Amino acid sequence: MPELSPAAGDHAIDMRGITKYFAETHVLADDDVSLTVKSGEVHALVGENGAGKTTLMNILFGLQQPDAGEIHVFGNLARIRSAEDALALGIGMVHQHFKLIDSFTVAQNVLLGSEPTRAGWLRPDAEQQIVSALSDEFGLPIDPNARVSDLPVGLQQRLEILKALHHDARVLILDEPTAVLTPQEARSLLDVLRGLAARGRSVILITHKLLEVIDSADRISVMRQGRLITTVPASSVTASELAELMVGRSVALSFERRPGAAADEVLHVEELTVVAPDGTVQVDEVSLTVHRGEVVGIAGVSGNGQDALVDAITGLAHPESGSVRLEGRDVTDRPVHERRAAGMAHIPEDRLTVGLNRATTLDENVLVSHYRERGFARWGVLRMGPIRRLAEWVRDTFAIAAAQPGEGIATLSGGNLQKIVLGRELSGSPSCIIANQPTRGLDVGSIEFVHRTLLDARDNGAAVLLVSAEIDEVRALSDRIVVLYRGRIAGELTPDEATDDLLGLLMAGGARAEETPS
Amino acid sequence: MTQRIRVQARRRLVNVLLVPVLAIASGLVVASLFILLTPTPPLEAYGIMFTAGFGCEEIGRCALLTTLERSTPLVLTGLSAVVAFRSGMFSIGQEGQFVVGATLAAWIGYTLPLPPVLHPVFILVLAVIGGGAYGFIPAILKVKLAVNEIISTIILNSLAVLFMTYLVNFPMRADAGSTARSPLIAESAVLPSFLPGSQWGVGWVLAVGAVVGVLFLLWRTVAGYEQRMAGQAPAFARYGGVQSGRAAIRGMIISGGLAGLAGGIEVLGVSHQIVPGFSSGLGFDGVLVAILGLVHPIGVFFVAILFAGIRLGAQLGLQVSAQIPRELGGGILALIILFVSAQNLYVDLIDRVRNRFSRRGTTTDD
Amino acid sequence: MIEFTIDTFVVEMLRSGIRLATPIILAAIGAALCHRAGVLNFAIEGKMLFGAFFGIVAAFWLGNSYLGVAAALIGGGIIGALFALFYLRYRVDLIILALAINLFISAMTVFFLRVSFGAFGSWTDPSIEQLPDIHLPLIESIPVLGRLLSGHNLVIYLSWVAAIAAWLVLFRTKFGRHIRAVGENPEAAESVGINAARVKLFVLVTSGSLAAAAGAFLSVGHLTLFTSDMSNGRGWLGITAALFGLNNPIFVFLAGLFFGVADALAVRLPTVTHIPPSLIQFLPNLSALLALVLVGLRGPIRTRLARRRRRGRRGAGAGIESLPPTGPPATPTIS
Repeated sequence: MPELSPAAGDHAIDMRGITKYFAETHVLADDDVSLTVKSGEVHALVGENGAGKTTLMNILFGLQQPDAGEIHVFGNLARIRSAEDALALGIGMVHQHFKLIDSFTVAQNVLLGSEPTRAGWLRPDAEQQIVSALSDEFGLPIDPNARVSDLPVGLQQRLEILKALHHDARVLILDEPTAVLTPQEARSLLDVLRGLAARGRSVILITHKLLEVIDSADRISVMRQGRLITTVPASSVTASELAELMVGRSVALSFERRPGAAADEVLHVEELTVVAPDGTVQVDEVSLTVHRGEVVGIAGVSGNGQDALVDAITGLAHPESGSVRLEGRDVTDRPVHERRAAGMAHIPEDRLTVGLNRATTLDENVLVSHYRERGFARWGVLRMGPIRRLAEWVRDTFAIAAAQPGEGIATLSGGNLQKIVLGRELSGSPSCIIANQPTRGLDVGSIEFVHRTLLDARDNGAAVLLVSAEIDEVRALSDRIVVLYRGRIAGELTPDEATDDLLGLLMAGGARAEETPS
Repeated sequence: MTQRIRVQARRRLVNVLLVPVLAIASGLVVASLFILLTPTPPLEAYGIMFTAGFGCEEIGRCALLTTLERSTPLVLTGLSAVVAFRSGMFSIGQEGQFVVGATLAAWIGYTLPLPPVLHPVFILVLAVIGGGAYGFIPAILKVKLAVNEIISTIILNSLAVLFMTYLVNFPMRADAGSTARSPLIAESAVLPSFLPGSQWGVGWVLAVGAVVGVLFLLWRTVAGYEQRMAGQAPAFARYGGVQSGRAAIRGMIISGGLAGLAGGIEVLGVSHQIVPGFSSGLGFDGVLVAILGLVHPIGVFFVAILFAGIRLGAQLGLQVSAQIPRELGGGILALIILFVSAQNLYVDLIDRVRNRFSRRGTTTDD
Repeated sequence: MIEFTIDTFVVEMLRSGIRLATPIILAAIGAALCHRAGVLNFAIEGKMLFGAFFGIVAAFWLGNSYLGVAAALIGGGIIGALFALFYLRYRVDLIILALAINLFISAMTVFFLRVSFGAFGSWTDPSIEQLPDIHLPLIESIPVLGRLLSGHNLVIYLSWVAAIAAWLVLFRTKFGRHIRAVGENPEAAESVGINAARVKLFVLVTSGSLAAAAGAFLSVGHLTLFTSDMSNGRGWLGITAALFGLNNPIFVFLAGLFFGVADALAVRLPTVTHIPPSLIQFLPNLSALLALVLVGLRGPIRTRLARRRRRGRRGAGAGIESLPPTGPPATPTIS
């Protein structure tokens, strides 16, 4: 371990000029980012999804290598090539998805990899003592002999923190730690982190929930689209100012959106609740309606229940309670193909593994939404002619020159792949289109194309439910906007009401003055 | 545009053929090291093996025909494995399903008299149903209880073989003589052969028909489409409305049916009865044939002939004429499979060689 | 008089059962270790056959059966290491690799038998001695147990020691805990610096040695001969026993013993009743299948219980529900 400079205020971490480009997705995750973290401070790193915060911290923890830049740890230039290197330098990370052995106890997990032994034999009593001492020292009460599978999420996270502290972490990185906690648990966690900082450790908090940390952090760094926008002391800034800095300036629409002429109900969701297998409530009694000729946009940072909501509506997940009605018919428990037959189309968030099968041809990819229809199969036998014509239609209508019917699609670009999905989903003139993050990772031209296509569909009478983390996109396309936070509707607005700060605020957990918390 | 398509198609064909060809070559090379331990030099040994397995001197003594006949059960069990694998189930239960089909065939062959053409047709249909039912068991266990299908099919194989052994030794025993065997099936049940003295006959035609049938099923039907998508990209299939559990079960029933058919044809066309130790690896070989045939019906067809030919050539040629134990045939096949499965090593090499040769510019999309 | 005969019959049968169980147990312990590390080792059957061949050949050349067993142990370990190399370094598919190795060993053992010894089908040599029985002085004199525990050969005792050692390693040593961690959550293990590849190499080498020892027992331990495909499915039974015993070495030992006794029953029972051996052998296989079904049922039962527990909790008001966001007191509201 390098020599520590114990004086608070010295730079524990100094990242200079970090750049990282992901070739597979054509994304510049970090663009010449320079960040400093002092000893004894709680430093919040905020930004929306895709801002580059997690990548930056993965680089600090050795899980990724930067394309350019250097890192200085406690004043010394450091080469961090793996998690072990980072741990050796005193950097610990608590990930969003815990790395725990479920069947082991707390003590066994904390001491994993560095168990005390006598000639190779384990010493359970020594393990218990070490963990008890550790939890007392840092004020993190936990039962060393509890089995991880029995622990609630908040305690599992505490265990991860203890694990990092056991490895003598002087710098603790936490990635979206309050995402899985109740507000009370989040408050007590933040108290704990303040306590650690008081003992001279540095805490880096990655989060998009700036309201929860604005009291606890010393300094806040804002990232947006791969760049570090600013670093300010927490006391000198308000939440709304931060929200404005966080919110992205993405594609400005080059065309005017005509207001929609909404008619009768097409999709009606009533008091829908979705619970994950581990018990966390992902969607909490959400109700919404989408009419014919209308676009309803669901705004919210990824991870607030949008995916679970989409899965429940499209039939990929089973809701705990509530109902989904399509054109008046109750489809709550009906299988996917019945919803498709009733006119529902789904543009999934994950186009690579859910929306497409990259191991097969264009024809077979295009077929997946139609293979039960009479036009494409008769008495169980596929009709190759119509399928080929559909593939050709998709290619021509959506101008995907590189895609050939009969050929594979594995080498196509993200934009072209999304065009295939769009073309396929829209080809049957569906009455209800569920579009989940339809322009994620696309280039400007493709984004514009997708927007135009969705609006055309709306003008032709479809009901569109758009889920997006891009505020501009939601505002530009929607006739009505619903903000989702922690599985509940935080607010409903018209596009005119939806200013950057208000939207950003609602997405980050705040509330409007006029509204009472529901 | 069409020029580029032609280039792409050619490249794909080369890719598909190159790996098996390289694997076969590598297998033969390594096996020749073992041949060096014998009195016969490798090249001569291979010459003998290939003539004995694939040669054809006159219609009466044609090794190729015997190889074709011997490939029949391999084609069918190979197809069985292809259907299972493509549905996402790594089933090696062909052995047990084969035994079920064969036992049913042997039993009905001598107990239930029926007119000539009807008899074998009826029996084969029952063999298919029996095999299919036996394939249903591991499928439902996997779908409902997540029981690993490799282990369950192995156990089911043992159960089937044990039960068959019991049947042949007692209830179905032909006579109280020393070796246990079942009674010969009635003349009306026998599958005719095309040439006297050879057993190459209707059975092989049925196998070829099965190849066409599986091709059609997998690539031209709704059920086949669902199965392949569920096996290749389960999340995608679910998203499109495929009920993956049902698709997997359906795939296993068809797979079992094909293996059962193999057993039925073997009894009706070749052995006309069953004895203990009847299948001895034919089902298992089907898995290997499927792997070598790149899990494709046409690949299975050709690899089954290669398999059967190498085995026959090793048995008649190497053992008889070259003093090389016929087990070397099995060794060669194992090495080829090893090299096919290690194809990662090849793929890099092939790409590197191709890059060096084709500097005519890379084709990109858009 | 009748009691004496029954008593002898039962004891003799149990002794026979212990003997027949030994190769299964050795294979099963190796399989259990691999499963704990997250590796599905389907080459155990082939490694057992290899051990049978290599063991007897080495015993012949070295003139001593014990040395034959030792040679099998070492040879099996080397094959395990080769298997690990192909799997870990070259990323060859585990199952296909295993099937290919099984076929290769099955074929080439017979090949070498003929090429080296000119034998057809099976081979033996008068100079090869069966492994001697070891009589334990004090234990021998215990009335019934004595005859069960004493008088076995070295490999049988080795299987008992292996079971205990495996249990101790897995649950009482640091390395064993690392093995279990790698099997349950390799990412978590790697994140604290545990080398998953090294753990997997260890279990593959160990199970290779144990399987080969099992094979050597078959060829040298009792019969002093080698026949083609001598292992006869015992490797697969070993894997089944491991799953049956939930990969806990002590339970695995008992499961293997169960299969062995069933085997012994299958041989002896026909002499006193009319039940044919093939049907008796049906039993252990069928019970293995049932065991797998029971293990499979654990999952759905557990989720159903968890869901019921959750529903109870939610009804009582406590739990992991999300509360409505309470904005901080002053500034962040927009008017």
